[in-house]
Amino acid sequence: MSNGNNMLNDSYLLQNLAVLRNHLAESYSLVQIQKDNDGEEMWTEQLGESNVPLFGHKHLPLASPKGFLFAEKEALYKFDGETFETILPQVVPKVLFGVQACDLTAIAYQDKFFEFDPYYQKRREHILLVGIDCESPCSNGFCAQVDAGPHVNSSTADLVLSRLKLEGANQLSEWLLIAETEKGLNSIKALALEKADEEHLRLRNKLLEKVKSEFIDYSYINNAIEYLNNNSIPIKLWEELSVRCLSCSGCTNLCPTCSCYSTYEIVNKKPEKTISNSKVLKTETLRVWDSCLFQGFQREASGHNPAQKAAQRVERFWFHKFSDEFLPEFKRYGCVGCGRCEQTCPGTIGVHSVMKRIDQECCS
Amino acid sequence: MLQLTPQTIRIVDVYDDGTHARHFTFEPKGFVHNKPIGIGQFFMLTLPGVGLAPFTYTSIPDKTGRFNALIRKVGHLTEKLFTLRKGDVLGYNGPFGSGWPVDQVKQKKVLIVAGGCGLAPVATTIDYLINNDHSTSVTLLYGARDIESQVLKNERTRWRSKIKLFETLEIGGGGDKQHSGLPTQHLSSVFKYAQHPDIVLTCGPQAMMIAVANNCMDLGLQSTNIWMSIERRMRCGVGLCGHCYVANSYACKQGPTYRYDEFMALENKTVAFQKHQGLFKYC
Amino acid sequence: MSRTQVKSVCPFCGVGCGIGLVASDNNIITVQPLLKHPISQGKLCAKGWNTAFGINRHGRLTQPLMKKNGKFRVVSWQQALTHIAKKLNKFISENGPQSVGVISSARATNEDNYAAQKFARAVLKTNNIDHCARICHSPSVAGLKKTLGSGAMTNSIDDVGKADVIMVIGADPTENHAIIGGQIMQAKLRGAKLIVVDPRKTRLAKVADLHLQLKIGTNIALLNGLLNIIFAHDWQNDEFIARRCEGFDTLKAHVADYNVEKVAAITGVKGADLVSAAKLYSQANAAFLAYGMGITQFVSGTNNVIAVSNLALSCGQIGREGTGINPLRGQNNVQGACDMGCLPNVYPDYQNSTDKKVREKFSDAWHTEVAKYPGLTSLGMSHQARHGNFKGLLIFGEDPVVTDPDRNKVAQGMSAMDLLVVIELSMTETAKMADIVLPAASFAEKKGTFTNCERRVQLIQKAVEPPGEARIDWQILSELAKEMGLPELMNWQTSEQIFDEMTQLTDSFSGMSYPRLEQNNGLQWPCNKEHPDGCRCLHSSTFPIGKGQLISVDHVPTDEVPDHDYPFWFTTMRLHFHYGCGSMTRQSPLLERETPNGLLFIHPQDALDLGLKSHQGVTISSRRGCVETRIEISDQVSPGLLSMPYHFKEAPSNLLTNNAMDPSTEMPELKVCAVKLVPLPENQPPRSSALSDAGIGVLQ
Repeated sequence: MSNGNNMLNDSYLLQNLAVLRNHLAESYSLVQIQKDNDGEEMWTEQLGESNVPLFGHKHLPLASPKGFLFAEKEALYKFDGETFETILPQVVPKVLFGVQACDLTAIAYQDKFFEFDPYYQKRREHILLVGIDCESPCSNGFCAQVDAGPHVNSSTADLVLSRLKLEGANQLSEWLLIAETEKGLNSIKALALEKADEEHLRLRNKLLEKVKSEFIDYSYINNAIEYLNNNSIPIKLWEELSVRCLSCSGCTNLCPTCSCYSTYEIVNKKPEKTISNSKVLKTETLRVWDSCLFQGFQREASGHNPAQKAAQRVERFWFHKFSDEFLPEFKRYGCVGCGRCEQTCPGTIGVHSVMKRIDQECCS
Repeated sequence: MLQLTPQTIRIVDVYDDGTHARHFTFEPKGFVHNKPIGIGQFFMLTLPGVGLAPFTYTSIPDKTGRFNALIRKVGHLTEKLFTLRKGDVLGYNGPFGSGWPVDQVKQKKVLIVAGGCGLAPVATTIDYLINNDHSTSVTLLYGARDIESQVLKNERTRWRSKIKLFETLEIGGGGDKQHSGLPTQHLSSVFKYAQHPDIVLTCGPQAMMIAVANNCMDLGLQSTNIWMSIERRMRCGVGLCGHCYVANSYACKQGPTYRYDEFMALENKTVAFQKHQGLFKYC
Repeated sequence: MSRTQVKSVCPFCGVGCGIGLVASDNNIITVQPLLKHPISQGKLCAKGWNTAFGINRHGRLTQPLMKKNGKFRVVSWQQALTHIAKKLNKFISENGPQSVGVISSARATNEDNYAAQKFARAVLKTNNIDHCARICHSPSVAGLKKTLGSGAMTNSIDDVGKADVIMVIGADPTENHAIIGGQIMQAKLRGAKLIVVDPRKTRLAKVADLHLQLKIGTNIALLNGLLNIIFAHDWQNDEFIARRCEGFDTLKAHVADYNVEKVAAITGVKGADLVSAAKLYSQANAAFLAYGMGITQFVSGTNNVIAVSNLALSCGQIGREGTGINPLRGQNNVQGACDMGCLPNVYPDYQNSTDKKVREKFSDAWHTEVAKYPGLTSLGMSHQARHGNFKGLLIFGEDPVVTDPDRNKVAQGMSAMDLLVVIELSMTETAKMADIVLPAASFAEKKGTFTNCERRVQLIQKAVEPPGEARIDWQILSELAKEMGLPELMNWQTSEQIFDEMTQLTDSFSGMSYPRLEQNNGLQWPCNKEHPDGCRCLHSSTFPIGKGQLISVDHVPTDEVPDHDYPFWFTTMRLHFHYGCGSMTRQSPLLERETPNGLLFIHPQDALDLGLKSHQGVTISSRRGCVETRIEISDQVSPGLLSMPYHFKEAPSNLLTNNAMDPSTEMPELKVCAVKLVPLPENQPPRSSALSDAGIGVLQ
């Protein structure tokens, strides 16, 4: 992960997070995880004074920050009766402050997927990513097994924060701050921070090994990935699991790498004449998150549906997350090990449930 | 960056062409085609207030930018499309997809097997091969349900004088013009006539294409010399929205034409897709 | 463009999942599930996920409309309210308070509903107040009142996870209460046994240990049959019966008649399966019984509920963790609408409207005389309208033209009224028939409370402003009360004031307040001195009526059975992706894409016999009307049974349904009637039965 000299050049020490946060808040709209009285954690836009920021493993919000980049709902273009006109999103610079490794890995994945999407990129170029290393495993997470954490992978954030636990007599500062990109470096120049040294970087690595060792070894996940890629899972297993798929779309909505969408049109004014005289028809076309688990997702106008059966759709979702076929393009699996699908699936066919069942079935 | 926003085209000509099928001629309004359009590529039509759908170029744009499409009425959008007249304006995005491998058929014997409206996606290929005197020989085997369902009447008349054209009909065949039955039932004799083609291009309902491919392989053709053009629900045309997936490929980008062995390899990547293939039914 | 989030409760079914509303620019752009919510725990169903579409600005009514010469014209609130007040006063003075009424919304808040019944009783001086529980769980309210003294779900949702046997009768929870359905499937994975009693092969039936696929309308025979077997084997809970029930001997003697062979013949269920089910349920440590419309929507609905209660009481499967009699309330606040007294015979907290003391109590509290005479149900109002005796109706958030039985009669009733006022989010079929349409605020645009099926009163929060001139239901009633000469009566400024007024007049809610609801993720009633923090499990030591009553009931045939002219059984159902009349869910392009706008489920054998191809158009007709739609060949139904969802105004199944009634509750027999099927010519598309936009009731 670290690559020696370059990283050392751009590594600093930070006594107090508020210094960094307040500085960034001067040029960016602050977005960070907030917890409410019920303990619910959400990515929240802060306007003005912010609460105590929440970081790290204990606070993986159920909804990832995906929506800040790939919007849940946004306008694409409009039609004024004669021509179509692109509507790009109106953006202000935002800093996503304290994004965990899994979500950053997912953002990097989507950066690649949406590389030529003007809407995504318009938002993306106005976002500063401040990542944070996790200090212990979260409840459903297995990021280490899919190379998506617990420490932030290099170049998936502009700035990375890592808490260095104080050790004995050494006067080590609380936070290591690494600028991974030009943008990140520029954003903290004015702070004139004290530089970190080799010792700090070594400590970070030591802490990484410690965190990794605390993860439960979900060996069934690695086994199941192998069975999946060997195509050795019997179809009746997919049929058994897919009975429980309600097509609620929870998994695809919460999965930080899912990117499928649908477009639909809003007619702004009821046409008084027929469509032939399209001058009076004004419409706006929007896109919204879609889900391949819906039966209608692949159904054609003729009625032909290549994914008619739930077993096909459920299997294909896991293929998209764990198949080696996607490695040439993305250099990694579609799954970042955040475990959100397990939490949100009403049918008990999230990642742990499915992989456990696959391992159980194929092992025997 | 990708342009998801449609451009505008105008209808220049319309006439009926087969059961529930219509032949359209379009013209760009306010733009010129800035990319060459490949044989077998497709475009997306947008009807404001109604929806959008993919259609194949039945002829590639000429000097004026005009191009044709054969459109069949299957649902809500095409029904509305059929109410439009000359002069009406629509949205257009394209060209999309990878076309037919026309480069590969140089000096080869080509057999084209089309079913129903599957004739439209191969029309530009047939014209190209004829006009460029590209291949050693071109044969067309075209199957339809009945005579009313046959499409591209004018084009077939034109082709009949240049290439050997076999037609089959499920209902009403058996005369001297058309054979009776399904195209697959006549493949063997067509193969003989064409002196064992080197390459087969097929287009029609998915199950038909697979049946044709299997029959061709039985007749000694390699799967690497069989090409097909598949249909999928499409929205963006640029491999983003995800609707047209075939395993890890997007039909609007890597397809809609696929080499048979590659397509089957994709389908076989997931057991559930491998098991459930579609029904053989003309559109 | 910054995003704000507000926590609320899902507006669809009775589970009451927590939902986060994300707003930007005064628009709800998306929703998020809530991890810490005790019931939903980070989950939502397809409907919940698509909430934002249902209340989007684009489809909404934003201004009051008045019909003039068959067309709607925009008017001001003042004009509309003045007109309504004038007309209502006229009807009351000329024809008496019996000629006017209110139908409140089971999807509006408790505060809205409290206001509605107060308006009816204190302003209009009528007990003609009702809502859609009439056609869904009114038999639960009536039946369980008789047997236990209280009609609400006895246990809590999380008792599903504490049961070793789960029995689901006449309900399809994975589709309609999806989070509960999911918990049932999860319990099964953890080792619980699942029994499903349903004429259709539902998703739960597919995973169940036992699916009793009974003939439609034979619930009592089956339940009495189970009791017959239980008593014969001495599997009943004698200790519980002795300590907590009355009427055992009579019941035992009564069900002796329902021997296995007879019951197998009536129900079509194999004797061996009946025995297995009887054993599983009675011998379970804790058996959780849930039921739905497949029990209630019959002419014997109330008795069906009593039969269910007999089974649970005889086996002692009530009053403890993991057990209970659990009617699954369909709407996000139908429990609340009942609790708030939007029923002709009860005031809030089920205080009897015919009881003079109750009337005095409310007259005192409200400083005005309340209604004197018994009130009409919604069906009664419709009936009286058709006979010219009922003149004016306010309907809040309901679409009876699509959801009530025998649509032709419903439409006749509405046309016959002199004043029909519909308060709605969007232009529904019923709204098209109105004289005046008033724009309402949605659940995301107001603060208030919903009560879910497990009696949990939860707060909803305002996330965005109402569009245009839309107003909250209680605000509208407050203004109307002023117009009608009672300015002080309903002069509330906040919903909290309404809630506090209500808690002071009831016992079950007396311990509740907004701050307490906020602190506790809601509170389950009763919440009073005895249960200061609410009550998870009712009837743990005693029933409200003392001892549970075992009441003998008999199998009765359904009002209509198939015959030569109408040879098919017909039943109604719901799809996972749509809700009620579809006014909200059909705004989502994703949900609308999932299903065709009208479908009829038919068994493959029947399709074959009739020569029908997949998705072919058909005309389906009953003695009341006919509908054109497309078939969906499915083994979900059995031969001879057709099944149709009621969500689609283009193919409203209620053109066919029977409004023959359960005598004690006037519940119509929505679940069954007789129909015939005629194929449409092969390429002919079905004609739509939706009303024209012009707003005049043009029925086909």
